[in-house]
Formats: sequence, C-alpha cells, structure tokens
Amino acid sequence: MATESDGEEDTAGKLTGSQHLEVDDDLREMAKKAAWSVSSCKPGNGVLALRDDNLDTYWQSDGAQPHLVNIQFQKKVKLQLLVLYVDFKLDESYTPSKISIRAGDGFHNLKEIKTVEFKKPVGWVHIPLSGTDPRETFIHTFMLQLAVLSNHLNGRDTHVRQIKIYGPRPNPVPHQPFHFISKEFITYSTLR
Amino acid sequence: MNLLREAETALCPANEPNAEVPNGAAGHYLLGLIYRYTGRRTCAVDHFMQALAIDPLLWAAYEELCILGAAEEASECFNDAAAFRVQQQQLSESSSQNLTIGTECQSLPSSMALGSGDTSPRHSKQLHANNTRETLSHPHGTVMVAGHPPIGGPSNISQYYTPPAVTQLSGVAPPPLCRNAQLYLNAIGGDGYTKSNVNAVIQAPRRKFVDEGKLRKVSGRLFSDSGTRRSTRLSGEAAANTNSNASQLGGNGANHFSAKSLGGLSSSSSKTNSAVLRSVTLRRGQSWANENFDEGRRSQIFYDSCADNTVTTSSMSALADGKCLEQDKMGCGISAHDSRLASGIREFLGLLRTLGEGYRLSCLYRSQEALEVYLRLSQHQFNTGWVLSQVGKAHFELVDYFEADRFFDLARRVSPYTLEGMDIYSTVLYHLEEEMKLSYLAQELISVDRLSPQAWCAMGNCYSLQKDHETAVKNFQRAVHVDSRFAYAHTLCGHEYVALEDFENGIKCYQSALQVDERHYNAWYGLGVVYLRQEKFEFAEHHFRKAFHINPCSSVLMCYLGMALHSLKRDEEALEIMEKAISADKKNPLPMYQKANILSSLERFDEALKELEQLKEYAPRESSVYALMGKIYKRLNVHEKAMFYFGIALDLKPPAADVATIKSAMEKLYLPDELEDTL
Repeated sequence: MATESDGEEDTAGKLTGSQHLEVDDDLREMAKKAAWSVSSCKPGNGVLALRDDNLDTYWQSDGAQPHLVNIQFQKKVKLQLLVLYVDFKLDESYTPSKISIRAGDGFHNLKEIKTVEFKKPVGWVHIPLSGTDPRETFIHTFMLQLAVLSNHLNGRDTHVRQIKIYGPRPNPVPHQPFHFISKEFITYSTLR
Repeated sequence: MNLLREAETALCPANEPNAEVPNGAAGHYLLGLIYRYTGRRTCAVDHFMQALAIDPLLWAAYEELCILGAAEEASECFNDAAAFRVQQQQLSESSSQNLTIGTECQSLPSSMALGSGDTSPRHSKQLHANNTRETLSHPHGTVMVAGHPPIGGPSNISQYYTPPAVTQLSGVAPPPLCRNAQLYLNAIGGDGYTKSNVNAVIQAPRRKFVDEGKLRKVSGRLFSDSGTRRSTRLSGEAAANTNSNASQLGGNGANHFSAKSLGGLSSSSSKTNSAVLRSVTLRRGQSWANENFDEGRRSQIFYDSCADNTVTTSSMSALADGKCLEQDKMGCGISAHDSRLASGIREFLGLLRTLGEGYRLSCLYRSQEALEVYLRLSQHQFNTGWVLSQVGKAHFELVDYFEADRFFDLARRVSPYTLEGMDIYSTVLYHLEEEMKLSYLAQELISVDRLSPQAWCAMGNCYSLQKDHETAVKNFQRAVHVDSRFAYAHTLCGHEYVALEDFENGIKCYQSALQVDERHYNAWYGLGVVYLRQEKFEFAEHHFRKAFHINPCSSVLMCYLGMALHSLKRDEEALEIMEKAISADKKNPLPMYQKANILSSLERFDEALKELEQLKEYAPRESSVYALMGKIYKRLNVHEKAMFYFGIALDLKPPAADVATIKSAMEKLYLPDELEDTL
C-alpha cells in the first residue's frame, strides 16, 4: 500500500502532507482516462491546474461550499489511492481542512466512502481508498467526487495544487486469475 | 527517398517489359527491393533470384530472399556453378582491367566492392535518413595501391553499376578520390542509373568492406563484379561502410580481419584513429606490400573520422588475402592468379554457403538447425560480430534468453559498433529485466548512431521496463520515424500502446509492422494478444496460429495459442499444445501453469494439482502457483490445505489486486457453497 504521510497520523485521520510522492510500483495513474470537472473556479485557476504537474499552479474555487472536483471514467475502474498536493504555508486559509470522498455511478447516486481531515498539510497527502475489509482494497466505480467541506481558518474558497489518482495495473498476460511475480514466470510470460 | 514508383519505372521502363534491367544483378536487386516494399512478393522473389543468378556473390539478394522466406538451400545458390561464373567474371575483368587501369594491387577491391546489395537496399530505404552517415567511402580509404589514389569507390562504381556506389562517389569523394571519381563518374554517367539512386547515394553512402583475405567473415554485402573492368577486386569484396542501419551484416566485416582494430576503424571515431591505424598497418602489412595502401588506409581513416559517422561497419578494406596477393602479383602471371583466384572463390563460396544456410534457417525460424550450421564455422569466422549476433538471435527465437544474452554480449565485445541485431539484444535484456545493462546498451547505441532505429528501440525498451509506457511510445515512434521500414520498431510501438490499453493504435502499429514484413511473427502475436484482451477469441486464435506457423519453436507462442484455444473451449487441443510447449522448452514454467489452469477449469483437479506440485519445484517463489493450488483445494473443499496455500501465496507478496482476491477467497472459505461467488 502507499505510504501514509510522514508526519503523525491521528486516529481521527488527520493528515499532514509528505514532501515526496511515494506510490507503489504496482499502481498506475488513472487520471488520463477520466473527465475532470469542478463545481466552480476563478478564471485563470481552473481545473487544468489540477492536472498540469505543476505545483505552482492551483485550482481556486469561486462559489459556495462544498466545492467539488468530479472525476468521471468511461467504464468502471478499480481505484486504490488518491493523492492531493496542498500547501498550508502558501495557501493558509485556502487550504482544505475537511474532505469527503464519494463514489458512485453518476451524480445521482454518489455515496460517501471516506472523510479525511487535514491539519496544516504541506505536501502530498495520500488517501487510500480502501476500507478495512480486505475485499475492499479497491473501489470499483464510474465516478469519484472530492468534496471540500471546509477550509482552514474558515476560508470560503479553496486552493488545491495537484490531484492524482491511482489504480492497479492490469495483468500483462490476459485472462489470468493471478499476477506473476517471480522472474522465471515473468520472463516467459510475454513475447516482444 | 521513398520514391519507389519513380525508381521502379526508371529501372524497368513500363513500355518495354522485356528490356534488360540495367546494371544486371544490382538492378535486379533494387527492383526486388522495390517490389518487396510495395508488397508484391512474388515479383520481388523473382528479381532477387535473378540477381543471384547473374551474380552469385550478391549476398544481399540472398538475405532478402531469406527474409521473404523464399530462399533455396544455400548450397544450391553458392555452389560450384556459381563459383565458375564468378571466376569467369573475374577473369574477364581482370584482363580488361589491366589495360584500363593498370593498377595492380587494387587491394582495395573492397572499396570498390560496394556491396551492391548492401548499398542498394539501404539506399532505397534510407536515403533520407542518412545524410550524415556518409560513411565514407572507405572505399576511398582503401586506396588503391600502387600509388593510385583510392579508386575504390570509383572503381566500384564503374563496375558495379550500383547506383549507390555512384552517388557515393560523387557525394563524398575525398580529395584523393577526386581524380578517380571524376573518371568513373563519367564512365558511369552513361549508365543510366536511376536518378533516385544517384541522389540516394549521395545521401547515404554505405559501403561494406569485406575482408576476404582470410575468408573472414564476409559481411553481408558482397559485391559482385558483374561488371567489367575492375581493378583487381575480387568480386567477393564488398566494402561497405554500413551504417548502423545498413549494417545488416555490416559490422561483421570489421570483425574479422583486423577484427577489433577494424571495428575501431569503422567506427569513425577519431580517437580510434591512431590505434586503428597502427593495428591496421600491422595487419595489412602482411597482405599488402604496397605502402600506398597504407596511405590510402590512413586517408580512409581520416575520412572516416571526418565523416562523423556513426559507423557501424568497419570498413574492411581487407582484401581477401589470397586474392590480394594474387592481385598484387598481377604481373606475375595471370595463370597463377587464376588458379589462386579459383581457389579463393571456392573457399569464399564455401563460406557463403555456410553463412547463407545459417541465415536461411534462422529466417525460417528453424533455430536449432541454424545454430548447428553456425557451429560448423571455423573459430575465426564464428567469433565475428555478425555470426555471434545471428547466433544470439537464434537463441532468442528459441526463447533461451540467457544464452542469447551471452552471445550478444560476445558480439558486442568483438564488434562494439554494430547496430544490427542490437534491437533484439535490447529485448533480451528487457526479458531478463536487466535494467542497468539495458540502459547502458541504449546509451551506447545512441552515441554510436542517433539516427538508427535500433538505438531508439533500445531506449524505448528501457523505459518500458520501468513501466513508463508513454515515454516508451515516444521513443518507438522516433524509431519508426527514423526508419519506417524497420518492422520491429512498429511492433514494439504496438506493444506499448497495448500496455497503455490503447488497443486501436496498437492494432494499427502491428498492422504497419506486418505491411513491412509479413513474416514478422511478433506482430502476429501482438495482434493475437489484443484480440484475446478484447475477448475476440477466434481472431486471437487465428493470429496466434499464424505466428506459430511462422515460428514453430517458440514455447511462449505455443502457450498463448493454447490459451486462446482454451478460451474458445477447445480444451483438448489446448492441452495438446501445452504438452508440446512443455516438451519444447524445459525451462519455461508457463505452459505447465496454463495446463494446470485448463485442467482445473475442466475439473480434472488431481492432474492439475500434480502439475502445480511440479511447478513448485521450478518456481518456488511464485505466488500465483500457490494461489491456484489454494483455489483448487477450495473447490475440492479441502479447507485446511486451501488456507495453507493461500497463506503462502500471500506471504510471497503479490500485487495488491491479487492480495484482494486471495483474501476474499479466504474469507469465503467458510461460507456455504451456494453463497460462494466464483473467484
């Protein structure tokens, strides 16, 4: 599983960001296959800033809370990890403090799957999407919605600098019940 | 320049269907290539055969025939009749030459011998790309002995109508050559070379030098003298500096003779100059009495370095020693010359026979036999870059990656600047997951020749190994851009698209690979995998079968064919193929695993378990084996064993997806059967 933040982790789920993005090798980024949208934005700080791999640009919302980021896929995908880059030092009252993650088939049937609280985060915050049940290592869904419920210092609008979403890699050998991990198997498992 | 149509009309005027193709063998060879690239296989085969008939030493034509899968036995092509023909050609040439040129030691046949084959194919293909590779004319280098400025190039040209030669000549003529160049150019001018060729030549001179002398490995392009007056060149020599691309056989040349020194030489890196020079002079000292030669060589070397080519081949300006000597002593009597010539030719053809046979078998993917043939070569010949990389390739086809790695490594040590076959080596390293070696290889290849598809293929493989498929796609697309007739680049690009789950583009890439080379079984395999993923099982089976038809000894292919059959529910056939795969390659654990999978789906659990027990020995740290065993025990309701095996599987740290599956399977172990979902 992905590493949690470097700092302390309260039982209540408060997280501080880590400097580096550390993701397991068996995960891959799913964001390219999705359609991203936001509930509102300030001109010049739109949804593109969330996906541009540039930590200096950010999305700034411009409406009423909760602010939403919607990620929609064309087919049901397995998602495992959500990573956000937020920076309290730069954004102060714009930094989100409470985030709710919802999943479902579309806007009509989103269900909350996780809520996290941040405490002055600086850096990448890793949010695993699995539940405690081992059967729920992944969420199998069409759509994910990130709702910013409140900000630090009771700010109205929010800044988020980058969002990445990860899911498992498909098995390179099709129609196998299990992945191959040993070198002997992998060497012979495909032709090039 | 890809002006295939124009080239074709120039070589074979439309309204004169029976007109003789200009330049004899070289012309036929070019026509063959044109037909091959435009997809008219039978015509292509026809022309290559004719080229070989006219000039039995045209190795390039034989190579192309092998690639098209239509070559006859090498012993037939390179037999005594052929020897006789070559001899005749030589004789006629030498006599006329005496008069015209009056140089004796043309030791540089090499230069001349522009491998017609060699250059031509390359030319038509790579004209555009290789401007910089003007691997000059080494031919020039090979200076003509006896104070004659390196006629090499020019002489070749005159002889060999190889258009490329001509252009090369015109394009590159270093000062000493100038004189001759002019001379020859004029002579050639009237020959009606196709325009494209001429241009092409200027772009990419490639010449290979083959050192016949000690019958070292002959590099691919032998140039045959179909022509006329040539100075002392023995038809065998084909000097070609092949650029990486071209060097199909190229690099090899380097190997022999001056083996490494030449290798260095060819690599047109100036730093090798002095070293090479020394070694060359040393070696050459023996064969060439003429110091001019050395001079020529030196200039050649300089040209080489100046040329700034990425060289792949070494300009082997070696002359067949035998022939060389003969030539040298031209004055000593034609008869002596003749007999030596004859024996030289025979030996040479013998060598060609072996190499040809090996190559043919290798192209037919009868790799075991090909290996046996190559082993028949003498130590000297075997230890040359070309042969070693062919042997490596044969092992690769047999899915024996360790041996392939070993041989390719040797090949690189013997001839470090060859590019041919290095794309296969990079794939071997990819399979063996040797990241460091692979990245090192890629860096080296790029520094040798930035414009070769092999270098970019290696880079792409490097990124792909690190799972960075997007960058890998970019690299492979660069390889395709550099040389769109390099089938493997297309295939690798397709693999990357499929890894990114972009099946449409993947299919397109595989299809372009197949357009270039229908017998490229990797592309058939790739298409099969795509269809398997998309659940179009009949298509998948059809493609795997085609791939299997082309390469019947790859156990991985057999395994996949079996998987496709299993998906089509033709389990009996699937099991049969798996048995074949298991017996074909003892080291491959996959067919056993698949067999167990099929057996368990057929509910023949005991047999499946037996297979898996065996597999445990082969791959003790493979979690999927234990997971499958656990699954089977679960079906058999032997819960303790199932838990036991699931536990082991989890301990081996499979990826998260598997962890989830296994854990949920474990949870469900105690639920009543009716409520159990299938795993």
